[in-house]
Amino acid sequence: MSASRADRLSDAWQSQWARRGLGAVAAMVALSPLFAWAAGQVGYAEPLENAAEHTGATAHEVTYNAGLLPDYTVPSLDPFVGTLVSGVVGTALTLVVVLAMARLLAE
Amino acid sequence: MHIRDGYLDLWVAAVCALLAIGTLALAARRADGELTDARAPVLGIVAAGLFAAQMLNWPIPGGTSAHFVGGAFAAILLGPHLGALCVATVVTVQALVFGDGGLVVLGANVLNMAVVEVYVGYGVYRLLADRNEFAAAFAAGWLGITAGALAAGLQLGISEAFAYELLTTLSIMGVGHLVLGLIEGGITAVVYRYVADARPDLFPSTPDLEVTA
Repeated sequence: MSASRADRLSDAWQSQWARRGLGAVAAMVALSPLFAWAAGQVGYAEPLENAAEHTGATAHEVTYNAGLLPDYTVPSLDPFVGTLVSGVVGTALTLVVVLAMARLLAE
Repeated sequence: MHIRDGYLDLWVAAVCALLAIGTLALAARRADGELTDARAPVLGIVAAGLFAAQMLNWPIPGGTSAHFVGGAFAAILLGPHLGALCVATVVTVQALVFGDGGLVVLGANVLNMAVVEVYVGYGVYRLLADRNEFAAAFAAGWLGITAGALAAGLQLGISEAFAYELLTTLSIMGVGHLVLGLIEGGITAVVYRYVADARPDLFPSTPDLEVTA
């Protein structure tokens, strides 16, 4: 990467909107355990789950990959702490992957 | 709206995967050259923001819950091709790391949320934007997510696990998300207005709009 390009990237990250954007992302991650609790209070179901129950498809469900952090939890950790950790890991990973993709596309 | 493994017939999952891969490959080719260094952080922050926003399940009394998907928002802010690539990344991370959405059906989930929702949302926005941009962003979020849900309903309804009850899956998915989509549209429009007021230069060039501006 040339020096001028590194400068342009550095400028973009230090801009006010970038800091605000990252702040908004951090705020959403911080709020995620609260939303997980609230959704649990009303009984969390999406239309797809309703359709699956209506047609009996739930009996066909299989799990080939539960993931390292299954259903946004950390095994053996408090579920709300697990949600928070999942939020941090997921947003950081998405950021890194997309920036790598952006670099490939820009070259 | 994440389909789980076992829900789709293998051939349905395979066709969806091929369509998703083909569209994303085209998107990557089209996006080539669209991206400047100054806009790279926008891409990263929007994608990370979509991941975080999708973790926020808004509780709706009556036993339903919805979360913002953001396909239309990404399309408006980044352009449809970069938007599709960003949402595809989010959906893939969700499936691989968190088991949210199946592995065999990953192509279908990418097709519904990163292709159908993004491109339909963008199409709706472009169709209406020269009349009223706020309303266009609202309609894009609303109809984009409904289109994605209908695509999922179609895939589920032609699969054995759902007893080939196509009308049932289409109506539950379509009507459910047509209602929940009002929230998606509202958030899309409000965040769009905020970003458009604060940083109009972040949006990709839209020649048709510039003529009328």
